[in-house]
Amino acid sequence: MNDQNKIVITSSTKNLALVRDFIEERAKKTKADANTVNQIVMSVDEVCSNVIKYSHRFNDQFKIKIEVFHLKKQFKVRITYKGLEFDPNNVENPDMEEYFAKCKVGGLGIPMMKKFMDKIEYHCSSPDINFLTLTKNLE
Amino acid sequence: MEEFNLKETNQGDISILYLDGFLDAHTSSELEKAFEKLISEGRHKVVVNFEKLSYISSAGLGVFMAYIETMRNNSGDIKLCEMSEKIYNVFDMLGFPILFEIYKEEKTALEKFQ
Repeated sequence: MNDQNKIVITSSTKNLALVRDFIEERAKKTKADANTVNQIVMSVDEVCSNVIKYSHRFNDQFKIKIEVFHLKKQFKVRITYKGLEFDPNNVENPDMEEYFAKCKVGGLGIPMMKKFMDKIEYHCSSPDINFLTLTKNLE
Repeated sequence: MEEFNLKETNQGDISILYLDGFLDAHTSSELEKAFEKLISEGRHKVVVNFEKLSYISSAGLGVFMAYIETMRNNSGDIKLCEMSEKIYNVFDMLGFPILFEIYKEEKTALEKFQ
């Protein structure tokens, strides 16, 4: 594995900008358009934000590994982290009309990544290592 | 690496917040503090200028959702303006124009408070 396509961060929101820059630089190399690049960046940001907040509860003793894979017509990002099992595919999308009618707060990260990415794959290996892979199809 | 900066100016009873940089899970608390300050000062009419904002995540969007009801319940509002196409696409994709007024120009947003 080419280490240029991997970073490991401590689980802190202060590192989100670093993650976004890393993803953006590598996504741009695929010659994808700006909108596609931004969608990938945002999706990875949302995953990492959720891991930091919910899986690690802002404990920066934990680490998150982010790896990118540029296949012929796909760009994949695999996020690996310790924590309880949680598959975002099992989260229902909110009814946005109801969301706005009730002025709800939060819970938009997962719907965003579902809209932006073509596939979200999750699996957990014992005892508590999670792998979340986001795939974006490239034209 | 850019950060997040926020500048506030007033035009009468309307407050204008100028966002600069990126609004994510790390920086969104700064915007929350700004809204809290406005509420404590009784200032409920707010225009948010996005011209210099380069990035927003769901954490940033959540701040607007957290304060819109309070502002409107106090005869005010949060009107958004000057978004780049990139930023507008994020708001639009999630349906935010259903709840928020979004204007191309700051002056239009200000006029809507008259």
